[in-house]
Amino acid sequence: MILNIKNTFAEIGETTIFAKRFFKEVFIPPYETREFLKQCYVIGYRSLPLVAITGFIMGLVLTLQSRPTLVKFGAESWLPGMVALSLIREIAPVITALICAGKISSGIGAELGSMKVTEQIDAMEVSAVNPYNYLVVTRVLACTLMVPILVFFADAIGIIGGYVGINIHGDVNFYRFLTQIVQSLEYLDLLPATLKTFFFGFFIGIIGCYKGFNASNGTESVGQAANSAVVTASLSIFIIDMVAVQITDLFF
Amino acid sequence: MEKQSGYTWKLGMFVTIGLLLFIMAVYFIGKQQNLFGSTFHITSQFKTVSGLEVGNNVRFSGINVGTVEQIQLKNDSTVVVVLVMKEEVRKFIKTDATASIGSDGLMGDKVLTISPGAKSKKVIEDNGQIASVDGIEMHDIMKSVKKSVDNIGVISDEIAIFSHSMNNGNGALARLVKDDKMANSVSNTLSNLESGTKGFSENMEAAKSNFLFRGYFKKKEKEKKEKQEERKEKQEEAKKEKLEKQEARQEKQEEAKKAEEKQKQEEAKKAEAEKK
Repeated sequence: MILNIKNTFAEIGETTIFAKRFFKEVFIPPYETREFLKQCYVIGYRSLPLVAITGFIMGLVLTLQSRPTLVKFGAESWLPGMVALSLIREIAPVITALICAGKISSGIGAELGSMKVTEQIDAMEVSAVNPYNYLVVTRVLACTLMVPILVFFADAIGIIGGYVGINIHGDVNFYRFLTQIVQSLEYLDLLPATLKTFFFGFFIGIIGCYKGFNASNGTESVGQAANSAVVTASLSIFIIDMVAVQITDLFF
Repeated sequence: MEKQSGYTWKLGMFVTIGLLLFIMAVYFIGKQQNLFGSTFHITSQFKTVSGLEVGNNVRFSGINVGTVEQIQLKNDSTVVVVLVMKEEVRKFIKTDATASIGSDGLMGDKVLTISPGAKSKKVIEDNGQIASVDGIEMHDIMKSVKKSVDNIGVISDEIAIFSHSMNNGNGALARLVKDDKMANSVSNTLSNLESGTKGFSENMEAAKSNFLFRGYFKKKEKEKKEKQEERKEKQEEAKKEKLEKQEARQEKQEEAKKAEEKQKQEEAKKAEAEKK
């Protein structure tokens, strides 16, 4: 029991050191631009369909679910504003981050894990290529920058989903729908939500990389690395979300 | 190199569209808050702003034209409210416009409403000041409600006294309601009155046949008869006129029907001819 807790703390400590190394090596050349762009493509563009579908469904379902309650209060006209607000503030960032944790974090964990197990990482070190710089920095950076953009897409598509959801029961002009949304939004809704997505992206990347990079020898550890990467990344997303919302609540 | 360009343009498109969405969101939200585009400022002084907050809407003729930018206490009974408004509406707001604070719906936010003045034709300047009208406060309503409730209290007290004296007093009304003897004497009085009036009408008949008054009553009867005859004649004449008019109408309608039928027949014939 105590050993278990000790191991957990040890892992958190090692992850912190791993993350610290990232900040050190980000600024040190050589910059692996091509690898970075490729990772951006894989992480960002390839995840778009998945994020788009989930975003659309979240918008649609949220509208349909919150409609009866608002109708009860006679506040049906607040529906677009409410849906957009909850999408932009909370649901789109968290859902997108969870999807990315499932898709990207596990992918990175499995990829780096198998590279570690087949000793490709050691081979890179021998041939004077910094594996950390080439593999970890590019992936983490790509994650940090691409997840917020995916969240913007999820926001926009979720709003379209909300529009479809509203038009199932009534008839609302798209322009009117947009004005209602814009009227109910402030910078305070958009900016903290955007800021926290950078953290989501960073943690998804760094946890996937750490789990993969530290896979012990043996093929089964590849699966373990992928699995624990998803679990830890998902958990950390919720913890970050809680902290971020509390901080936003404190200041504004 | 070719392989690389295969995904770079997709990546570029992805990033561009994503950032564009973000910029659009920022722009539209900013537009809502009047941060972009040309604006002008107006100040107005209130005694109380009744919960108005920075960022609340400003309405002119029911249209959202700006927001509340600043609310400052000037002294213990004056609050200065600074409004930022769209430049386009400045030409409609004259120097004698007035600002008032109302609420948007039953549970809605506070809204600052600018009402146009009557006389002035001078357009308001940037940073100009307009007069304010104190809106109806909740406690004002409560005051008037309290006044009515107080009055109702006085009235109900009086009703209580009235009904008490009705039940327990010895006044005429109370006795009328309660006392059997009183009721009996009232009904006796009424029956006496009835028989009295019968006797009176008999007296009158006797008076008619009296020679002193006979002439007067005969004259009256004659006048009555003449009037009735005149009325009858008039009514008969009116009936005749009506009948004549109705006959004339019927004739006209029949003529019109005949004409229509003729036209239809002709048209049918024409159509047949065309078909052939």
